[in-house]
Amino acid sequence: MRPPAIRPAPGGPPAEPAAGAPVAAPGRPVPARRVRTRAGRRGRLARGAVLSALGGLAVVYVFPFFWMLSTSLKPTRELYTQPPTLWPVHPTVAAYRTALVGGRDWILLLNSLIVCLATVGVALSLALLVAYPITRLPVPAGLRRGLLSWLLSLRFLPSMVVVIPIFATVRAAGLYDRLLALILIYAAFSLPFAVWMLKGFLLEIPMEVEEAALVDGASRWRAFFRILLPMLSPGLLAAGVITFALAWSEFLYALILTATPRSQTFSIGVWSFVTEFEIIWNQMAAMGVVSALVPVALLLLARRYVISALTFGAVREKA
Amino acid sequence: MLAAPVLFLLTVVVYPLVYAIELSLQYYRLGGFAGLHNFLFAFHDRLLGESLRATLVYVVLAVGVECVLGLVLAVAVQRTVRSALGRTLVYLLFIVPMVTPPVAAGVIFRLMYIPEYGILNVLLHGLGYPGRGILWMSSPGMAMFSVLSVDVWQWMPFVFLVLFAGLSAVPGDVIEAAEVDGAGGWARFRQIELAYLRPLLLLVLVFRFTDTLRVFDHVQVLTMGGPGSATEFLSLYLYKIAFKFSNLNYASALAIYVVIIVSVVFALTSRYLSEEIA
Repeated sequence: MRPPAIRPAPGGPPAEPAAGAPVAAPGRPVPARRVRTRAGRRGRLARGAVLSALGGLAVVYVFPFFWMLSTSLKPTRELYTQPPTLWPVHPTVAAYRTALVGGRDWILLLNSLIVCLATVGVALSLALLVAYPITRLPVPAGLRRGLLSWLLSLRFLPSMVVVIPIFATVRAAGLYDRLLALILIYAAFSLPFAVWMLKGFLLEIPMEVEEAALVDGASRWRAFFRILLPMLSPGLLAAGVITFALAWSEFLYALILTATPRSQTFSIGVWSFVTEFEIIWNQMAAMGVVSALVPVALLLLARRYVISALTFGAVREKA
Repeated sequence: MLAAPVLFLLTVVVYPLVYAIELSLQYYRLGGFAGLHNFLFAFHDRLLGESLRATLVYVVLAVGVECVLGLVLAVAVQRTVRSALGRTLVYLLFIVPMVTPPVAAGVIFRLMYIPEYGILNVLLHGLGYPGRGILWMSSPGMAMFSVLSVDVWQWMPFVFLVLFAGLSAVPGDVIEAAEVDGAGGWARFRQIELAYLRPLLLLVLVFRFTDTLRVFDHVQVLTMGGPGSATEFLSLYLYKIAFKFSNLNYASALAIYVVIIVSVVFALTSRYLSEEIA
């Protein structure tokens, strides 16, 4: 329930906007007489400088995306006009149609979808198997710390180091050019941050909630599925979205462990446009747009958790 | 309960590492125990030296520029952008490049850097730059600049967002007390904010160091290590040795050197890191 708003007395001064309300307040309130001092003028100068730097950065960050989108919508003919047009005169989705529908790359899209969903499933189940006992069961503190720090160290393992023996192992196991190999590896490498994230969410759910259910005679199993899991769903959703996006973006393992459209992922599809003898720019751009759109859209949903996940919970932020 | 995930990680991650040690101790093609042959060969490998030099330049410049720019920007934005709307806009502006797949970022910059079609050369031409513009990807110096620019573009926002979040955690009354005592902007940064930021700065440095050391994806899209070996960073060199020349033995030996370097960095910093993280 919302607390009742405090109304100003009739005729009195209007209430100040609540702290954190999305109201553009230009700086902290400064007593009027201080505004004309030298510090005040320098403050306004600095403010102007920062705002124009941010404006410049906005161009540096937005324009490249805009240029890719614009290129992807150009008919092939228009790619060669000099100087290039900023926005296509005759925008068309032909490049998307040729690259995705007509070509082989919709299969890669499907492969990526399967790999990402399966990775999320495997990684989250395994992560729960670690995060639940270390937050809910009496596990020795040494084991808990050791396990968490071991998981953290995996984050720093350079992928190019393990990729060589993994390639040899995967080939020996008959998993070369199979989606299963990618799923297992992506799940393994997203496990560390998934555990750290779920651990954070689990610690925020009070023990008493579950204990109450246990006292009422529910089994630990039932308490987990009926009580804890629903309360954990925001955490699972956030960790799932980020796992999905990371698996979607992965390139090196896919490059080395796949050979044919049977198991190639979308990242490989994007890259293969670059290696062709004559690059078809609008199609390459179209692939780039699709490749960027998926994680950007997903992570805007989970944006509050991105930094926290990438830094293993060192940074808790709000946005 | 813990056994399943641990066993899973042991097979998928740790077993290959053990296998890498085994591979590195064998002769290429001939097999058989080679002792430290592969490890010693690295010291006579001229191409490895070039790759290491390029990697060093890349790591130092990328990490340096990202951290300095990110820090300056975080402090500046923290002090000037006060409205919730403004802060949300800044956050959105910087979160999007970070979550863009590196391959897509490579495509984005490839489109800007193509000599004939790329918008940068068109702009340069408009400004009166002589000739046909700059060869962004096919002259050695510019190729290094081009791959570096993508890294800075994508990951300076990471540094910024982490440090910005750190600055927001500085208690307001501490700042106010300092202002009452007459502390200027610089003193406020040096004596208060830096203390709060120090652990996060370490975290950002370690993360960016380990990530730039293994840079691969966008380089593969932009220059593929070229021209010559100007941007053939360590991971691209390893990739070539292992999968173009199929010398898994020598590649494994080099990989183990990298593991040792990264482990040392991790061992030196992990105590401070997990203090911060846990």
